Amino acid sequence: MTLNTHNPEPSTPSRREMLQQTGTGLGMLGLVGLLADGGLLASNADRGEKRQSPLAAKKPHFRPRAKHVIHIFLNGGPSQVDTFDPKPLLDKYAGQALPSGNLATERPTGGVLPSPFEFKRYGKSGLEVSEIFEKTAAHIDDICVIRSMHANTPNHEQSMRLMNCGDERLSRPSYGAWLLFGMGSENQNLPGFITMCPGLPVATVNNWRSAFLPGIYQGTYLNTKKTRVEELIEHIKNKSLSRSAQRRQLGLLTELNRRHQKQRMEDAELEARIESFELAFRMQMAATDAFDVSREPKYIRDAYGDGVQARQMLIARRLIERGVRCVQLYHGDVQPWDSHSMLEKNHRKVGGECDQAIAALLGDLKHRGLLDETLVICGGEFGRTPAVELSQPGTGTTKLGRDHNHWGFSVWLAGGGVKGGHVHGATDEFGYRAVEKPVHVHDLHATILHLLGLHHERLTYHHAGRDFRLTDVYGNVVRDIIA
Amino acid sequence: MDFFPSMAQNEGGVFHAKENKVSPVIVIFMLLGQPGELETASSIDFDAARRHWAYQPITPPQAPEVDHGEWARSSIDRFVLARLEAAGLTPSPRADRRTLIRRVSFDLVGLPPTQEEVEAFATDNSPDAYNRLVDRLLSSPQYGERWGRHWLDVARYSDTKDLVLTIGKDSVRPYAYTYRDYVIRAFNRDLPFDQFIHEQLAADKIEPRVEPWKLAAMGFLTLGPLYDDNTPDILDDHIDTVTRAFLGLTVSCARCHDHKYDAIPTEDYYALYGVFASSEKPLEPPLIDDPKNTPGSAEFQKDYDLQIAELRKHIDSQYEEITEGARMHTAEYLVRVATQEPDFFETATFYRSLSPDDLRPKLLRQWRQYLANHAHPQHPVFGPWHDLMEIPEDELSQRSGEVLARWSKVKPGTGPRELNPLVARAIGKATITTRADIARLYGELLKHIYTQSKESPTAGDTAREQLLTIVTGADGPYFFPKASTEPHMSRVPRNTYANLILKLDQLAVKKPGAPPRAMILVDTAELYDPWVFVRGDPSQPGKPVSRRFLTVLGGTERGPFPNGSGRLDLARAISAPDNPLTSRVLVNRVWMHHFGEPLVQTPSDFGVRCDPPTHPDLLDDLAWNLLQDGWSLKLLHRRILLSSTYQQASHDRRECRQVDPTNKLLWRAHRRRLDVESMRDTLLALSGHLELDFFGPPVDIDGDSLNHRRTLYSLIDRQDLSGLLRAFDFADPVQSCERRAQTTVPQQALFAMNSAFVIEQAKALAAQGDGAGRDARSRVASLYQRVLTRHPEAAEIESALRFLEQAARGKEDDKDSDLGEWEQLAQVLLLTNELLFVD
Repeated sequence: MTLNTHNPEPSTPSRREMLQQTGTGLGMLGLVGLLADGGLLASNADRGEKRQSPLAAKKPHFRPRAKHVIHIFLNGGPSQVDTFDPKPLLDKYAGQALPSGNLATERPTGGVLPSPFEFKRYGKSGLEVSEIFEKTAAHIDDICVIRSMHANTPNHEQSMRLMNCGDERLSRPSYGAWLLFGMGSENQNLPGFITMCPGLPVATVNNWRSAFLPGIYQGTYLNTKKTRVEELIEHIKNKSLSRSAQRRQLGLLTELNRRHQKQRMEDAELEARIESFELAFRMQMAATDAFDVSREPKYIRDAYGDGVQARQMLIARRLIERGVRCVQLYHGDVQPWDSHSMLEKNHRKVGGECDQAIAALLGDLKHRGLLDETLVICGGEFGRTPAVELSQPGTGTTKLGRDHNHWGFSVWLAGGGVKGGHVHGATDEFGYRAVEKPVHVHDLHATILHLLGLHHERLTYHHAGRDFRLTDVYGNVVRDIIA
Repeated sequence: MDFFPSMAQNEGGVFHAKENKVSPVIVIFMLLGQPGELETASSIDFDAARRHWAYQPITPPQAPEVDHGEWARSSIDRFVLARLEAAGLTPSPRADRRTLIRRVSFDLVGLPPTQEEVEAFATDNSPDAYNRLVDRLLSSPQYGERWGRHWLDVARYSDTKDLVLTIGKDSVRPYAYTYRDYVIRAFNRDLPFDQFIHEQLAADKIEPRVEPWKLAAMGFLTLGPLYDDNTPDILDDHIDTVTRAFLGLTVSCARCHDHKYDAIPTEDYYALYGVFASSEKPLEPPLIDDPKNTPGSAEFQKDYDLQIAELRKHIDSQYEEITEGARMHTAEYLVRVATQEPDFFETATFYRSLSPDDLRPKLLRQWRQYLANHAHPQHPVFGPWHDLMEIPEDELSQRSGEVLARWSKVKPGTGPRELNPLVARAIGKATITTRADIARLYGELLKHIYTQSKESPTAGDTAREQLLTIVTGADGPYFFPKASTEPHMSRVPRNTYANLILKLDQLAVKKPGAPPRAMILVDTAELYDPWVFVRGDPSQPGKPVSRRFLTVLGGTERGPFPNGSGRLDLARAISAPDNPLTSRVLVNRVWMHHFGEPLVQTPSDFGVRCDPPTHPDLLDDLAWNLLQDGWSLKLLHRRILLSSTYQQASHDRRECRQVDPTNKLLWRAHRRRLDVESMRDTLLALSGHLELDFFGPPVDIDGDSLNHRRTLYSLIDRQDLSGLLRAFDFADPVQSCERRAQTTVPQQALFAMNSAFVIEQAKALAAQGDGAGRDARSRVASLYQRVLTRHPEAAEIESALRFLEQAARGKEDDKDSDLGEWEQLAQVLLLTNELLFVD
């Protein structure tokens, strides 16, 4: 196993970053030593040579526009024509067959289903957003809506994997894992790629896997149904020892290890393992602090609101602030946005759960000057059909919902070097298929990497006989959306 | 030659049909090539390619002359020493006895030697003490657990199926473990590796029939990922695993185009594809042991019989409904085939929710294939079809008459260049203006013959029989094996089917008494004749190929595999003595596990892009001897372990490190960290908790800190590897793993410091020997003896005593701590680098 293709240099952390890494100024010397030569990864190619942590911050290919990613994943597939892609023609054709015919999706669909939601213009840009996201819409001048997204398959599992890993079925690393591999993380006391979900989304761990990349690049999954930090992160707290007792234990351990090391000074592995205990000890405190939203002032907590969405978003901001590279927030267990029936009620409910928190997150990031360096991504794995879904024979369910639609859907981006108050591309007049400046998921990936300073064709990993990349043989950077 | 300049373009897996002048059926026919056309050579120059070192025949290399021959115990040492001497280096002295027994114990059985074993070996002065040690360990049953696990990495072994919405226990494959157990047994019995290959690919076909337990060998193929039940991906896994594991070739790179670097054309990929596509899992895996040996099996069997009966009933009724429905809708099938492009949905059916009255995508696909094979100008049924479909649609109304007139003069009959009289009658009265008209005509005729056959048998009427066979025969477009009914089902019955399968598996996982079964493959009733998928897209058929071995290894000269699917033929080709790859790949893997570094840095890729071996002659010497030894792994281990090279000390020598910093030339032993299995097993061994039970269904070691089985019996969840395994660099079970990553990350330290498991072992360790009555010094000494198998130095005793005192004092004003000071000390020793690394 070798890390042979992408070989970024370590960047020297700034003083501010150093403080973030250690929490306080104490222990800084040890940390500098670790970052410099803590050789945590034994690749054969560099055995015996000077090595650095596989998670240490690395220089990207070129100057990045963003340093962090927050991905708000509205899993299940939000309907574009009910959120960010208004189509007045749906009202005109209500109940009638689409003149252009229906596109093949997972299930049978019928006539046109108008949007039950009201759209209004917001901000200086005057972009239209539906009432589902009326609070988020207050930030529309910072948001770039891509209305011409498209994917390959109208089914959740494949599209979730495509959106996260760039392939529908094969075992490929998630883009978060690629980001960590390419850039490392700015905080060695916290995992660099964290995914949160109250429950588990469809395709589960596939969504944040490292696949053939080393396991350390895999997303750390936290079930945010749980609230206490020791339930969130495995083994983060010793239930049998106080911190001072543990400190004493580690003191003896280090002493024994140093004695053992004396005759073996050339072996960086031994040093790395010694340091890893110090790191882990600090991590216990850093993690506890990062996930404890009660340390936020009340006005901030009020701004985000109640509920698990608010808590996830607020934790995301705290993590980004501490230098975590990539944070993904899934809306909920399985596929909460999947409104095959009773779309109005369901979309109103799930939208109501996250709208305020998303708005608060954008405002909070902006206020702290973090929005510029943080790329916020919001969307699902696909959209929904403008046509109504028909009942399956024999199921007897009532409908008034929409089927999956991979032909065209919306995803929005904010911060991190994208244009605000901007619309890119368009679907056809009914919102079915992306027709103008279509953006495939591979293009979105190329663009995300680009904004983070990585060239999607150069970020490669040699495995099983060939070089792999996130975008496989596809992908074009969508330059029009870059500010 | 580009057959479809304007036909189709595959963008991101979505099929975009474009304007097309030629009928889709004709296009497929053209692509399939003329009947009888031989496989054309690809543009690869195979003779040039065969000059690559890995394809060279293995000849026994001459052991080189060396200056210090007295060091050499075997040819291995001479090859190593020659390179050292050429670089001006000398080997390291032999490691001391304590180091040696520790090294060879972890190496062969994955467990530390006991204090007594260390003492006995350290004081055994007989000249064959080390040889006896090696032999004892090689015959230990823990050897198979240790080395079997190495193979399981390569076999991407997992206990679970990766289906959507099946998580936790629901995802467990109830009989996966029988493959793991087969591997352990095979290693312990030193099953010759060529047989090991044959059994893993084709245990079902070996004559005389193998012992039943050996059928489980085929889990090697059947336990792969399911990729949402998408057949081409599942078979790609088989091709990838087989070729990388045994041959060190990355054949799966040739799925969409010829391999970019190696001499592997796409034809070779699809030649192997045909082998696996001609194999299937039976609905019910065979028993491999007398159920009486499984307690509770009688009780279990009652529930099982009910469940399986329900499943069979469902399949039977669906099979009947689908085939009957298709025959009655033949006209619709033919109209679709004749007027619409083959699209993505016909080959990627895994996600579609079908309504009961939808046409079945796979049957459409089969119709297209059937017509491609049969609709040629001389065919007694589809001859007119062929001629009519050749006419551009807008000219049909003018020109169809002349075609029909020509056919009306053809001699009636059912042979080539004749015309089936029933077809003659049907076209005699037809008016044809569109392709749909042609299709409907044939469709209605076939349906009519079918319905008629229900009332009056066709006996003797060859014209009727010929038509009837098309819609009912085993090589007709509607045929599929009953076991493969599921992909044809519409949504509701498909869900029912999935639930019945799930219930059957749940029963076997959760209810005690399930007797072991083998997850085998058998050949399909109708063998699959492969063709190239253009750019890897199953909806774009290319050139036909035969089921055969890789061209660069002589596959085309040997010709098609003669026996059924060809799995056994493939296994024999892989293990053939004149195939130089298999033995080289195998000895390199074994060398890697003994030394920590392989001779070829990429153990599953011996293609042209890999670094050549550091010691090419040594590699060949080992491979040659392996063949002479009848593929015995134990003899190979012995050969390696008894060498001076293996027994070197690992101490640093600055002067050597300056010349060869990565120790490529083997001037010392590599120091190595314990892998996750050895680490956890060692902690259990030291605490006295280790349970050395063998075999059986997987256990939950991560969630259950009180489970004390060896780590290799842990449940391996492909979708969700346990936190412990993942944190400690366990092999990713999605794909064949040639070598584990080795990382040092704080999550590992958190496990060591805080996990209930480690704390339990520390407590048990401290409680051993009931030291309460003894003085602290001797208690510290015995703790050191137990964990590190040596006496502590005076300074170490002082440090320990100081720690004990402070910890005892700290405890008084620290109510949070419920670990005693001896337990805390025991934990520290369990965390040391001295324990976790092997010199």
